[in-house]
Amino acid sequence: MILDGLINGLIMGGILSLPVLGVAVVYGITGVPNFAIGLIGVFGGFTTWYFLSVGLPLAILIGIGICFPIGYLLQGVLLTPLSRKKEADSTLFFLITISFGFIVEGAIRSVFPKPTISIAFPRLGAIHIGDVSADGFKFVALFVAVVALIAIRLLEQHTKAGRSLQATSQNLKLATLIGINTNQVFSLAHGAGCSLAAVGAIFWGALYTLDMGTGWHLGFMGFIIAVIGGIGNIWGGLISALLMGMVMSFAGYFLGGVWQSVILYGIVILVLIISPRGILGSERSI
Amino acid sequence: MAEPILRVTNLVAGYGPISVIKGIDFNAYEGEIVGLVGPNGAGKTTFLEALVGNIEIREGQIHFLDKRIEGMSVMKRRKMGMVLMPQEDYIFPFMPVKRNLQVAAVLSRDEEKEESLDFVYGLFPVLKERERQIADTLSGGERKMLSVGMGIMTNARVILIDEPSIGLAPKIVTALFENLKMIKEETGKTLILAEQNVKILKIADRIFGLEAGKIRFCEKTEDLDEAVVKELYMGE
Repeated sequence: MILDGLINGLIMGGILSLPVLGVAVVYGITGVPNFAIGLIGVFGGFTTWYFLSVGLPLAILIGIGICFPIGYLLQGVLLTPLSRKKEADSTLFFLITISFGFIVEGAIRSVFPKPTISIAFPRLGAIHIGDVSADGFKFVALFVAVVALIAIRLLEQHTKAGRSLQATSQNLKLATLIGINTNQVFSLAHGAGCSLAAVGAIFWGALYTLDMGTGWHLGFMGFIIAVIGGIGNIWGGLISALLMGMVMSFAGYFLGGVWQSVILYGIVILVLIISPRGILGSERSI
Repeated sequence: MAEPILRVTNLVAGYGPISVIKGIDFNAYEGEIVGLVGPNGAGKTTFLEALVGNIEIREGQIHFLDKRIEGMSVMKRRKMGMVLMPQEDYIFPFMPVKRNLQVAAVLSRDEEKEESLDFVYGLFPVLKERERQIADTLSGGERKMLSVGMGIMTNARVILIDEPSIGLAPKIVTALFENLKMIKEETGKTLILAEQNVKILKIADRIFGLEAGKIRFCEKTEDLDEAVVKELYMGE
């Protein structure tokens, strides 16, 4: 039972880590918590589902690709100009991004013919580890999450855009003074974050079902897990996602599914009281 | 005498309803070190921030390379060749030393970056020794060296440094100031240093004394009576 819980927890954590990475990249760099990010990811999931007829790989690329300009423009056209206003505070951004989430939700309902979908991926059969067997596709999801994390780290270290992202997240004032176009960096980060959320939503849609509720759920869970890990701290986000995946998995086994949320959010409150900057620390607290 | 590279006329700037800078006239020539001295609250930092466009000005004109720049963004002024290394948070703390230097050269060509990096390592060998070390783990003096090195890496013609000596031991201040003098002599860059440390008199070509947002005196260093500077700080 323990091995079963560990494996399922790892997989759940791996999937959750994708929207967490999205939130970590966006909030860590721009300082704006985008509560619509899950819905934008779900929009990418629905787009992938809609274009399945052109072939799965291309459909996935379209789904992920369409979320990039949404995030890029949301930041460049709306959030960056707003952040220059004196009245701009976290409440304003909360209200604006929540409202934008409802706009995306309305757009999904208007554009796509079904409110709930599941994305048909080729099945890989069961993989057995000891007495435990799990859908092989779930391991693919975990693998993709790890690859996405490594890819982000490599891009951050070895590209000019990545180094600008890193510099902006570490010291915005100095980054601006030395000539980094920080507004463009914010837009790039937001576009990348929304694309990561789309990857998470696509896998969620392949393993379970995807609807509007999933969008809000992934967005809020992603935000909470990112805060627990230490907002903007990508490694912290990943560790936090894996731990939360374990907590949900074991709570489900020992206490039943209805207790998962009680245990999870109870731990969230405890961690935030003890360490408001997350388990691995962060420049920001909520 | 040549035209100044930077000319400021009747500059007024501040925060909220308060004007911290109250009508400053200032100039700097190519290849000189200008010291901006004055007690805490005199407006040195505000003046530097206004020069690079980090705060909006309320009145006055700033000419840089014969162009009016007061309406330009920080980025445009930076591209024209002016950079400010701030007093606090002057490094990228979680990056290695070498990456800090490389990032500072964001607007430079690759060959310029290599050349500047060699120059900085020649000036501050300790940065070469610690190039892989995370910047946050450097000592205070090493961080200031890194900050000055980053200023050089930007390849700006005018480098503004806010309180380079603050928090450093006297010996380190002397060494750092010698390095600043060497930068001027070897690169021909203009350095504008806001300072409280009177050792600035040993390296600056001219000194502007700032008090309560106004220029109290502007003198060539060799003509300046040190007692005047002390009086500015002590209010005697």
